[in-house]
Amino acid sequence: MTDLVALISKHGYGLVIAIVFAEAIGLPVPAALAMVVAGAAVAGHILRAPVLLPMALVAMVLGDTLLFFAGRSTGWRLLGFLCKVSANPETCILRSAESFYKRGKTTLVIAKFIPGVNTMGPPLAGSMKMRFSLFLRFDAMGAALYILAYFALGFAGRDFLKAMGDTFQTAGHAMEEILLAGVVVYLAYRIWLMKKNRVYRVVPRIQVQELIEKLKSEDADKILVVDVRSHGYYDPEAARIKGSIRIEPNNLEEELQKFPKEKDIYLYCT
Amino acid sequence: MLREKGFNAFILVGGLAAWRRAGQPVESVPREDLVKLPTFS
Repeated sequence: MTDLVALISKHGYGLVIAIVFAEAIGLPVPAALAMVVAGAAVAGHILRAPVLLPMALVAMVLGDTLLFFAGRSTGWRLLGFLCKVSANPETCILRSAESFYKRGKTTLVIAKFIPGVNTMGPPLAGSMKMRFSLFLRFDAMGAALYILAYFALGFAGRDFLKAMGDTFQTAGHAMEEILLAGVVVYLAYRIWLMKKNRVYRVVPRIQVQELIEKLKSEDADKILVVDVRSHGYYDPEAARIKGSIRIEPNNLEEELQKFPKEKDIYLYCT
Repeated sequence: MLREKGFNAFILVGGLAAWRRAGQPVESVPREDLVKLPTFS
């Protein structure tokens, strides 16, 4: 933090604005901390609030607007990409979209305070074709709330900042350990998931070439090629293997009733 | 589950991506099969 104070004292508005903009476009930089320090700098007459606050607001809304239009131009592909790292990518898109549809406006206002969600809000609003004027209104409200909250914290608590600065290195080490623990827990979860999924390896696998040969053989009419993707079906340009049918994997019990038992079923996903 | 229910099921290695790489034909997903996500429009 002491480094950040020194940097902001030296580079002033430009650095604060750059950090705020960078966070708005999803880069992992501490905009909240920058605003706290900027608040303290205003209290110490290093920076001026009437210049700083509008510039920070514009930087944040500008970054969000870029993500909004990125979401609008990429449709669901951007959300699909973000969902790839989730625990259940197959249902992530649908759940995220439904949740945002119900609480989208409120989400835009409070999302800035929730790490991870802050970057998802604008592209989701774009993907879901929210009116730009509506997005701008709620996003600006959220950005103003965020900027003012941390600015006020720094402005009111500037005397505490020095003390915080002294303890920041210790806190920084603690944070590193927490992050490391988080990475270890995540890796352990992925390993557990891999082991759990081993049970499915008993299902026989077939290479593309083998299936092509079977489809060319006399037994082709005994073959049913089944698409079990969930995501990918949101994109109007989605394609599938010619002649295949789709089943909804989350509704397998019901879907099975329409399957003829005399046929061999070849399942595929993305 | 398919195997448990008596179906003779297999998994296509590499999925759609491998199928495309092999130069095999694909078709557009029929409109009625597309999952409609909620939009604000």
